[in-house]
Amino acid sequence: MSVSTKPSGYHLTPIGGGRFLLEPSTALDISSSEALLEEILQRLQRGKAQKLYYDLADLPLIEPRYYQWLNMLARACCAVNVAMACIRMQPTAAYALSSYMESSPDFSVEQGVREG
Amino acid sequence: MASKQNAQTILIEQLKLQVGNISAAIEQQGHTAFGTSRLLSNDEITDFSIEFLELMVALLDSKDPLNHREPAFEALRIFFSNVSKHLLIRGGKMDDLVRYIQFLQRSFLDTLQDDKKVGLDDTRAILLLLSNIFNELSLEVFQTYLKEKEQTILAQQEELRETSTPITEIWDGVLTLPIIGILDSSRTMVVMESLLNRIASDRAKAVVMDVTGVRSIDSQVSHHLIQMMRAIQLMGADAILTGIRPEIARALTSLNIDLGNVTTRATLSDGLKEAFRRMNIHVSAASDI
Repeated sequence: MSVSTKPSGYHLTPIGGGRFLLEPSTALDISSSEALLEEILQRLQRGKAQKLYYDLADLPLIEPRYYQWLNMLARACCAVNVAMACIRMQPTAAYALSSYMESSPDFSVEQGVREG
Repeated sequence: MASKQNAQTILIEQLKLQVGNISAAIEQQGHTAFGTSRLLSNDEITDFSIEFLELMVALLDSKDPLNHREPAFEALRIFFSNVSKHLLIRGGKMDDLVRYIQFLQRSFLDTLQDDKKVGLDDTRAILLLLSNIFNELSLEVFQTYLKEKEQTILAQQEELRETSTPITEIWDGVLTLPIIGILDSSRTMVVMESLLNRIASDRAKAVVMDVTGVRSIDSQVSHHLIQMMRAIQLMGADAILTGIRPEIARALTSLNIDLGNVTTRATLSDGLKEAFRRMNIHVSAASDI
């Protein structure tokens, strides 16, 4: 079981049962989203991932650009047969997001990591 | 300028000469206005009269009594503001206080009546000076009254908001929220804030939102509803909407509101059953076990 810290601003940790936990830090640079996406997918495929949990606990706000990034990552994960779920969304973030999102997101939402 | 100075001097002299009479008259009127209705005690009325006369002398003694930024004027203004608040809290009427202020002004003028030395110009200057001061004091009382009323209304609105949208944990992890009345933007914000915080703190798995009490719905309200349902789902909880009456359903259809992603049930009871089903909770009568 290895925990890796990438300079691109996230932790991706295998948590067993084909599940991975992605914890973004404030340093996560989504402006180079395509490179970031490839890097994450490569690691997920290498780890034979089935599910990716994206932890939003440290994000008090989700801007449209960040929401776009989440949707893009979810669609890409779906393409490699990995289900993505966002977890621990903050009330402030949920409120802001619900005010501008027009359709259902491409990812599912759960309160936390489910017991495997 | 000279007549203004003169007016101040005459008034101060009169005040010093007739302080006993003025004080007695003010106290007497104070008892009539506030004592009989027990808004102020005898001691309070006496204290009021003494403090008012002291502040009035200080103001007339100041450089420019008509300057509202003068510390002496400010002290008098604050004094009246506090008296107004005090009376309003005890159920006093603004009219009584304004009438009392008019009486205070009159009591000053009465002292000049017997003084033959005061000429026409001085009388006019004194009248102007007193009207200016007392008009400002009446205005202060009026503003205090408005502020107090505004605060009362805001507090009542806040209380109404809290009581009209009670969020109840009806079962472990199941929250219910009956919405009654009109759902406007500000109310949606308040409800959503408390609801989302409750979902986070209680780790609620399902929220049953009942709109039986919503009488009418327009485009804005329906969007608020959808926004609330989305926010609940984003928090990782199931959102169940119940109690949509036929006229509301018809309005939603004509407003092109898509409830496809929202779980709806006819009644609150059905909504709770659905929430329990999703959480794998079976409720049965004790005799069935």
